[in-house]
Amino acid sequence: MSEKEVVIGGGQGFWGDSPDAAIDMIKHGNLDYMSCDFLAELTMSIMQRQKNKNPKAGYARDFINILREVGKEAFEKNIKIISNAGGVNVEEAVNQIKNVAEENSLRGYKIGYVLGDNLLEQLPKLMDEGYEFINSDDGRKLSEIKDSILNANVYFGKEPIIACLQRGANVVVTGRAADSALFLAPLMHEFGWDNNDYDNIARGIMVGHLLECGGQASGGNYDYDWRGIPNMDQLGFPIAKVTENQTFITKTNTSGGRVTEQTLKEQILYEVHDPANYITPDIVADISNVEVSEFSKDCVEIKNIKGKKRPENLKLSIGYHAGYKVETYLCYAWPDAYEKAQYAADIIIKKMKRKNLKAEDIRIDFLGLNALHLDVANMDKNLVRNMNEVVMRIAIRTLSKDEAKKIIPEIAPLQLNGPPGSSFFGGRSAVQDVIGLWPTFIPRNMVNLTSNILEVK
Amino acid sequence: MENFYLKEIAHSRSGDKGNISNVCVFARDPKDYDFLKSFLTVERVKKHFENIVKGEIIRYEVDSLKGMNFVMYEALGGGATLSLRLDTLGKSMGSALMRIEINKKEYEDYRKGVKK
Repeated sequence: MSEKEVVIGGGQGFWGDSPDAAIDMIKHGNLDYMSCDFLAELTMSIMQRQKNKNPKAGYARDFINILREVGKEAFEKNIKIISNAGGVNVEEAVNQIKNVAEENSLRGYKIGYVLGDNLLEQLPKLMDEGYEFINSDDGRKLSEIKDSILNANVYFGKEPIIACLQRGANVVVTGRAADSALFLAPLMHEFGWDNNDYDNIARGIMVGHLLECGGQASGGNYDYDWRGIPNMDQLGFPIAKVTENQTFITKTNTSGGRVTEQTLKEQILYEVHDPANYITPDIVADISNVEVSEFSKDCVEIKNIKGKKRPENLKLSIGYHAGYKVETYLCYAWPDAYEKAQYAADIIIKKMKRKNLKAEDIRIDFLGLNALHLDVANMDKNLVRNMNEVVMRIAIRTLSKDEAKKIIPEIAPLQLNGPPGSSFFGGRSAVQDVIGLWPTFIPRNMVNLTSNILEVK
Repeated sequence: MENFYLKEIAHSRSGDKGNISNVCVFARDPKDYDFLKSFLTVERVKKHFENIVKGEIIRYEVDSLKGMNFVMYEALGGGATLSLRLDTLGKSMGSALMRIEINKKEYEDYRKGVKK
């Protein structure tokens, strides 16, 4: 009898990712599970803002569209789908999933969902009780910004997801589950790993880490050899094949992309700080001696991941209103494109001074020259003088919306009133809300997470 | 003497957490890893990013990957939304680091074992 193998795919890298690879892996990946991470640091704040405008918004609608495409096929093949697409409105995401299941007559389809990570309503009470929610970056107390708080969500781990799977869920939807917990939970559920089995838990977390950014593990954003990636127009996303003793990362052979030693090396340290202490709600993973080696074409083995005791507290991410910003652009052509763009920026700054703009911060960049590499960009005189075109960019950040608006009508007129040969594009800029993030911690026992099942009749 | 860019012998990826940028750097050829470790010091990276990274820089070595991870504090102009940079998430910090120039003779001497 062959060793038990669990196959799990990473169907999304972020909110706004392409659905193509998820659809491909449901059709051709021989999956047991597909986990879809939708949440980056700011996503919850953006979703909360959407929900404030429309009580039925605040989750990742893209997830519903993926289920509409392949939910029925996944159900028939018994592929379980797990996602944190619920954002700040898990209940509405569940309603929408139920609609899809009913449209497809999926009788007995079980929707698992987790509630309790959204602490927005409890926060004032907790603060009254004396919890200070000290900002872990700068030591400030949350009371300083209490009137500007937008959202408050706890990063939680595997337990409530496992509970949904144990109750037979075909799909599990959550709010701010940690990205990698979406992958660890099914592995623990399948292999029955013990809570003290630190190394296996860490292995499951790192499977999640490698899969949670989708195409970044299979040839996307690949510095080592992006030209060598075939068919990036149908880039496959990574799939893990996990046994009790081994971990392989691969992809479907119906998709483009590559899984190589280097695609995984670039991803394994991505957004990691200390490799010996990668902190998640479920484990502190140690990848300081991790080994990545090609087993066969598009199949790479990961070895030597260790685990240490999980942290006592959970991370609580609070988003708050922190003012407004506007980004404006104007494009200049050769000759002397850079000189003209600089002159235009100068005009705008003088005008703004005259109009008494109160800005917290102002930034001027020149796209084509130094907007990305900033002070380390090559500003060689010959290069600069011969630029075919340069885009002036001025960005401002203000405390009030009215201040931010001051700059907006001033850009397009420079086509007629400034240096020659500019082209205004993209329409007038809009004021954007600035959201600040307040990282802090909360004791585990203060967070009451519940696992629920809704069965479609 | 001729110089070449770090990108010729290394590859990288960068990511963000708040106002912290991390850049991981790997040797393209495992034989260059020792040179990279001796060349790409925290001091050199600090100097390269002197007007961009305002805080501390920590280097973690991962020998098993022939790579290093640079964690750079106060590096993104305020972090995700507070930053007015175009690249608020620092996705191009990796390639910005790859611009560091290496003296060809210094590199060849190191490879030949003429360590200083």
